[in-house]
Amino acid sequence: MEDSSSRRNFLLGGAAGVGAVALATEGCMLQPYRQRDAVSHRWGMVIDLKRCIACRACGMACKMENKTPPGVAYGVFLEQDIGQYPHVQKRAFFRPCFQCAKSSCAKVCPTGATYHRPDGIVAVDYERCIGCRYCIAACPYGARSFDYGYDYIEDAENPYNAIPSAEYGAAYGLRQKGKSPIGNVRKCTFCLHLQDEEGQYREAPACARTCMGRAIHFGDLADPEGKCLVHGESLQELLCRRGHYRLKEELGNEPAVYYLPW
Amino acid sequence: MSSHRQASVGFVLRVVGLGLVVALAAIGAGAVVVRMRDGLMVTQLTQHVPWGLWIGLYIYFIGLSAGAFLLSTLIYVFGVRRLEAAGPTALIQALGCMLIALFLIFVDLGHPWRFLNVFLYWNPSSVLAWECLFYTGYVIIILGELFLLLRVPLAVRAQEGGPLAGLFRLLALTREVPDAAWRAKAARWVRILGLIGIPVAIGVHGGTGAIFAVAKARPNWFSGLFPIIFLVSALASGGGLLTLLTAAFHRAPPEKKYGLVRQLAFLTVGFIALDALLLGSEVLVTEYGEIVHEEIGWQLVMFGPFWWVFWFVQLGCGLIVPVLLVALPTRRSTAWLGVAGASVAVGILGTRLNIVIPPLIQPALEGLTTAYHHPRFAWGYFPSTNEWLVGLGAIAWGILAFLAARAILPLEPTEDRPAAEPSA
Repeated sequence: MEDSSSRRNFLLGGAAGVGAVALATEGCMLQPYRQRDAVSHRWGMVIDLKRCIACRACGMACKMENKTPPGVAYGVFLEQDIGQYPHVQKRAFFRPCFQCAKSSCAKVCPTGATYHRPDGIVAVDYERCIGCRYCIAACPYGARSFDYGYDYIEDAENPYNAIPSAEYGAAYGLRQKGKSPIGNVRKCTFCLHLQDEEGQYREAPACARTCMGRAIHFGDLADPEGKCLVHGESLQELLCRRGHYRLKEELGNEPAVYYLPW
Repeated sequence: MSSHRQASVGFVLRVVGLGLVVALAAIGAGAVVVRMRDGLMVTQLTQHVPWGLWIGLYIYFIGLSAGAFLLSTLIYVFGVRRLEAAGPTALIQALGCMLIALFLIFVDLGHPWRFLNVFLYWNPSSVLAWECLFYTGYVIIILGELFLLLRVPLAVRAQEGGPLAGLFRLLALTREVPDAAWRAKAARWVRILGLIGIPVAIGVHGGTGAIFAVAKARPNWFSGLFPIIFLVSALASGGGLLTLLTAAFHRAPPEKKYGLVRQLAFLTVGFIALDALLLGSEVLVTEYGEIVHEEIGWQLVMFGPFWWVFWFVQLGCGLIVPVLLVALPTRRSTAWLGVAGASVAVGILGTRLNIVIPPLIQPALEGLTTAYHHPRFAWGYFPSTNEWLVGLGAIAWGILAFLAARAILPLEPTEDRPAAEPSA
């Protein structure tokens, strides 16, 4: 008994050793993936399309909260006309970043600038990002934007330009030509900057808070009792009662955003 | 009299051509300065088409490089002696094209000066990160092979004296001409490096294909055939350019030169045939399947706004013209075979652009192009003036670098040199 366990330990040690050697160049790069196994939270959304009135306020709130420049969009509202008269239908839905459990973006990022946080959110280290845009090519949901360097107001003295974007705790300061996040790829982080030190949300992401039809539910999907931080419904109950789907499920990216159908 | 006039026409053409290349190189340098100042704002790239002309040219040059390198291994590893005279030129082409490719990725980065992050924060799950290692190793192998091959002739030239003697001494890293023992050792090491170079070159170009092939978000890239198509078309384009360079610049007696060019042209056409087979398979299977999102890409390639790139450049220049030139009596002319090589090299440029751009045009989700009103979210892509100028500049630098290397370095076997001087 003791023998077999020590042998197993030895084998495990050996395997770890091989792994360590393989990763000796940059051990911490796999950190995001390792942390994913020890999930504490899994922040996610349940979007009830029956309640959505297509007012597009979610996209607007996102713009204001993250102060994204022109040409950069985190959450967008997609609309589509389907069919031919008289059998026409309007399809519309809100698309934030889906914070995929098996994201394509973090997988292809050559520098590991895009990484998985333990709470399931996929974030970008702007200082590490080289701006190769492989993640944009690889994202199946078009959820990433490159910051080309546009500004709504050119005048640097304008009060609007004196307010830094709140994302990542305003760590990147005011916009300056050639400085991050200009030249980086940017994405929705479920308003990560609204989390407190314990990783709990002080308030829900802007899109969910602003939704007047109460269509966007946000909360912890890993918690069986998890409730929407805005409206208080049980997320698991919503998912169980109604049929639900995720976009492009067949790709296996495992998004953290579920849609409840019409 | 007439031969004198011919010679002067040739001279004028050469001067005009060189002037054009120098002008393009200078304008390209200016365009790079503008690009470094203003960032990627100068491009017409969008949020749906994040890669454009520069990435198309980058994979094109990687292909030209890997193809030429793999052809050189025929000589140095597999001992195909009839091609031996083209060996150093092939390696110079492999090096020059690789450096242009690396430059093109550099200008394409949002933060070019952070390129070292790829090594500092190397992410093993990224194909691109692995490629950066492959590219580095590959350049080192080519430099090593060139050193081993050219050290003796360089040392000989250094001893002959002249204004460049110092440079030759520096490149040869010696004052003495290496002895026979060193030559034997060098020949063995060229073979070993070539042998190591084969999987590395396959990794360089097949792996570059894999960068695209693993992106399941883009149905037209996501195919196991893709890296193989990359490799085969690399061999075709690399062979094509090498045929052209040999036909245009190689100094050897006409008979000997024709034999060499013919070998290269026939080899190239063989690779084209294989490439056409793979392309046909890919298109027919996709079209038969009628899976909408896969079909859209090919529809764009064949009947989209730039349909002529597929029919005239990719198929016309890349397949039909070279096959005809090699099949018809033109095959008996070194010059026409050189044209066939040039035609392949141009045609595969069309292939590369069709690989990168059309599969990106269709946005990842329906409605993304109208969800946000901004030029960077619009449908479609056409390179900006700056993108064209940087791209053309890079090509011009490549031509100048090759001309300089050819003028300075001893690329031909010494016994061929003096005899060929009058005809060149």
